[in-house]
Amino acid sequence: MRMSELVKQGVFKTFNEPGDKEIKGVYISDMVSDIIGIGPGNLLVTLQTHKNLIAAANLVDVAAVVFSRGKTPTDDVVALANKAGIGLLGFDGDTWTLAKKLYELGVR
Amino acid sequence: MTEKKPKGNCRHRWTMSNVRNGYLVVEGCFHCRHRTSFFSEEPVPPQDDYREGDHFWSYLGSSQASKFDLKCEECSQEVPLKDVMALMLCMRCDSECGVYKAGSGEKGSKTWAYVALCANTSHASGRCVTKPGIKALNEYFNRGIQDPHKKIIVVSCESRKSVDTCQGIVLADVGLTEIY
Repeated sequence: MRMSELVKQGVFKTFNEPGDKEIKGVYISDMVSDIIGIGPGNLLVTLQTHKNLIAAANLVDVAAVVFSRGKTPTDDVVALANKAGIGLLGFDGDTWTLAKKLYELGVR
Repeated sequence: MTEKKPKGNCRHRWTMSNVRNGYLVVEGCFHCRHRTSFFSEEPVPPQDDYREGDHFWSYLGSSQASKFDLKCEECSQEVPLKDVMALMLCMRCDSECGVYKAGSGEKGSKTWAYVALCANTSHASGRCVTKPGIKALNEYFNRGIQDPHKKIIVVSCESRKSVDTCQGIVLADVGLTEIY
C-alpha cells in the first residue's frame, strides 16, 4: 500500500504533506535506539514526538510516522520532518487500536 | 545450506549483529573541558567522578542507547563498531564545519550527514571511528532508500569543528520520560 491510499481512508490526522512512499511494513516503538535497527519503508508508530525520533526515522527511511494517543508534534519537529520528506500522521486512540485499524485498512 | 560468497569480491548486504542495549554515559573534564563517553550494560549507569591522569571526569548525563556491529549476509564478514558510541544528525549549523561540507552534496540531491561519534572528543589518542566501520555504515544506511535523490552520508566525528557549538541531534533515548 502507498501512503496516498492510506491517507485517503480519512482515519488519520495529517500534520504535514504525507507524501506517497510505499509502506513495506509497520514497526511500533518508542525508543530511538530501537528504531535505528529497522529496515527502510516501515510505517513507524510511536508516542514519541521529539526531534531525535525524526532524526532516526530519516536515517532508516521510514514511509511515515504515526503518533498514537493524540500526540501532537511541535512546529520545529514538523519543520524537520518536512525537510526530510517524512509524513506525520496522528491517531487519537491507543497504539493497540491503531495497530488493529492499520491491519483492517490493509496495511501488512 | 546457503553458500557463502568469498569476501574479496562481495557486494556486501549488511545486517545488524551483536545488538546490545544499555546506556550511553557522557562525562566531562572540568580541567581540559573535553568530553568522553562510554557504553554501559549495567542495570544502572555509573555516575562516579574519578581522576585519570590529568583528567577529572565527572558524570554529565546518560541516556538509553544500543550498540551494534554489522555483518554481511552474503559473505559473513563482520565489521565491529565498538568504537561508535552514537550516531548524530548534522543540523548544518556551521558552514565551516567538516560535517556540513560532507553533507553539501550535489545540487538537487537530498543529502543528510550523520556523524559516528567516538568516545573521546579530544581525539588525543589519534583514534576515531575506523574507516571500514564508516564505509559499512554508509552502505548499510543507504540500502533500500525509496527516493533516488536521497543520500545518507556517515562521517567520523573527527570532521566536526566544535563539540561545544555543535547543534547536531544525537540518536539516543533522551525523551523517554517526556511521553506523558
